[in-house]
Amino acid sequence: MQIVVLIKQVLDPEVPARAFRVNRELRVPDVPRAAQVMSIFDGNALETALKLREAVGSGVKITALSMGEKSAESVLRKALAVTADDAVLLADPAFAPLHSVQKARVLAAGIRKLGSVDLVLAGRQAADWEAGQVGPMVAEELGWPCVSFVSRIDRSGDSLHLRRELDNGYQIVRLSGPAIVTVTNADVNVLRFAKVRDVMMSARKPIITWNASALGLDPTDLGEPSVDLLDLFVPERPRHAEMIEGETARDRALGLARRLRELNAI
Amino acid sequence: MSDLLLAAPVRDGEVSRGSLDLLGGARALADQTGGKVTVAALGTAANQAATTLIAYGADTVLTCAEPALETAPGEAGVIALEAACRASEPGVVLLVADSYGRDWAPRLAWRIDAGLVTEVTGWSLASGRLTFSRQVFGGKAQAVLASRRPVAIATVKPGAAVACQPDPSRRGLVQELGVTIPLDPSWPQVIETASEAPTGPRLEDAKIIVSGGRGLGGPENFSYARDLAEVLGAAVGASRAAVDAGWVPATWQIGQTGKSVAPNLYVAVGISGASQHMVGCSRSKLIVAINTDQDAPIFEQARLGVVGDYREVLPRLTAALKELLQ
Repeated sequence: MQIVVLIKQVLDPEVPARAFRVNRELRVPDVPRAAQVMSIFDGNALETALKLREAVGSGVKITALSMGEKSAESVLRKALAVTADDAVLLADPAFAPLHSVQKARVLAAGIRKLGSVDLVLAGRQAADWEAGQVGPMVAEELGWPCVSFVSRIDRSGDSLHLRRELDNGYQIVRLSGPAIVTVTNADVNVLRFAKVRDVMMSARKPIITWNASALGLDPTDLGEPSVDLLDLFVPERPRHAEMIEGETARDRALGLARRLRELNAI
Repeated sequence: MSDLLLAAPVRDGEVSRGSLDLLGGARALADQTGGKVTVAALGTAANQAATTLIAYGADTVLTCAEPALETAPGEAGVIALEAACRASEPGVVLLVADSYGRDWAPRLAWRIDAGLVTEVTGWSLASGRLTFSRQVFGGKAQAVLASRRPVAIATVKPGAAVACQPDPSRRGLVQELGVTIPLDPSWPQVIETASEAPTGPRLEDAKIIVSGGRGLGGPENFSYARDLAEVLGAAVGASRAAVDAGWVPATWQIGQTGKSVAPNLYVAVGISGASQHMVGCSRSKLIVAINTDQDAPIFEQARLGVVGDYREVLPRLTAALKELLQ
């Protein structure tokens, strides 16, 4: 069984709002000193794959697959360090400006080239543009079904049981063939820390890189983006809260209760 | 842009409040452009919802009651919506950004080659072009996008539109979508659905919410939040950190990837105020923050702030409010 986990490198989502800037002319974020990290939900997807491999025992291979610049090797290194078996980077200057549908096309080409893939996991949405489109669109490209917002995967005989989070509850979904699964956060899938020994063992593992021609893709066939980004701006930041002062916690609590009453909030 | 299509999942014979709100938004947009509003009602009891949908502003309701919509909602829903698009030829397709809409929209966009904008919080029509606003980068920036294709699809966050006053005398057309969706054995199938019934009011409907975060330090300390909530008749919510720690169920999560709430009063306890959390509660009328760290970003977003240990502040606040409310 081969599980592919799609992993995106993103601008560190922990950059505080007060430090966040955009270049409005180019409509891109402009936070030069920020770190580039693994998108959070992709970490949840990777952990879900690792747990499934542990539950199945043997014969499961996890391949981390990313599309991006050479710098994205660092998130693949991180995946290898938590014991993903292989890492593949799809990198080509032609991939840089791509939008959701086109990215899905490139990723699907990568998955096809890997061959004999049984399950593809992806974060429910990336922590930068938060579109939540590429995973389900990869399913369309491959002609596979898709299950979204899954928080855990258990084996049950020949099938997998997926827990899909709903707005007010959950579903258990039975899966008996290949599918794309998008993963949402839960207590059971927070990405583990890498062990020092595994970091050292994985450091020498190669990261396979495929460009457009290796994937058999003609960049001119990838098509035009289907949406225009017309504007990107940082909304005006609100002013500071009115602080309830007081010597003791009791004074402040009483002050807050009074203020809430004055404002007719209770 | 011309006509609109709204996707409305029907569960237990009813459409969600979110669908009715979005229908109100679709109606207003259609009235602006002179277009028609078609609703695709999807679910085995779709017919039961048709009258309601017309009263709330639909011109046409296309019903699809195929059993596959219940057992394989993901796969069957996309097929039904694709058929509804062919039948009604909309310029704009709207879906609620919930566990159905977020699932269907990308695949529908791929199938009909439409331009998709997700998690939309507002739209505007200028010189005949419909543009959509949404938050990106965890709410730290706002983007404006528009479709480059003849059809635009948007998933819209709850709260971006408001339902019309229902008018039972409104007339509309109810038609069967007329598509059969045989269940493909290779499709993922739902074998169990569980609703987590909250003990108090639902977060989406609550007038007051008390929310806890990482600062609470453990699941047992949510009792402080629950005690306050009980006195106020409030619902209890949580930040992503508290959900990830396994302290509370995922359905409690408020934020960019959790619920969007709009209570009159939002009390954030031990929540630092990461923008991905704040976008979920920013429509609250009044936000109160209680935090030990006087530099926590939440104090830049809240209206009222108290610096202090919640274990000291909350019980006293609860007692004081109990007295005030008697």
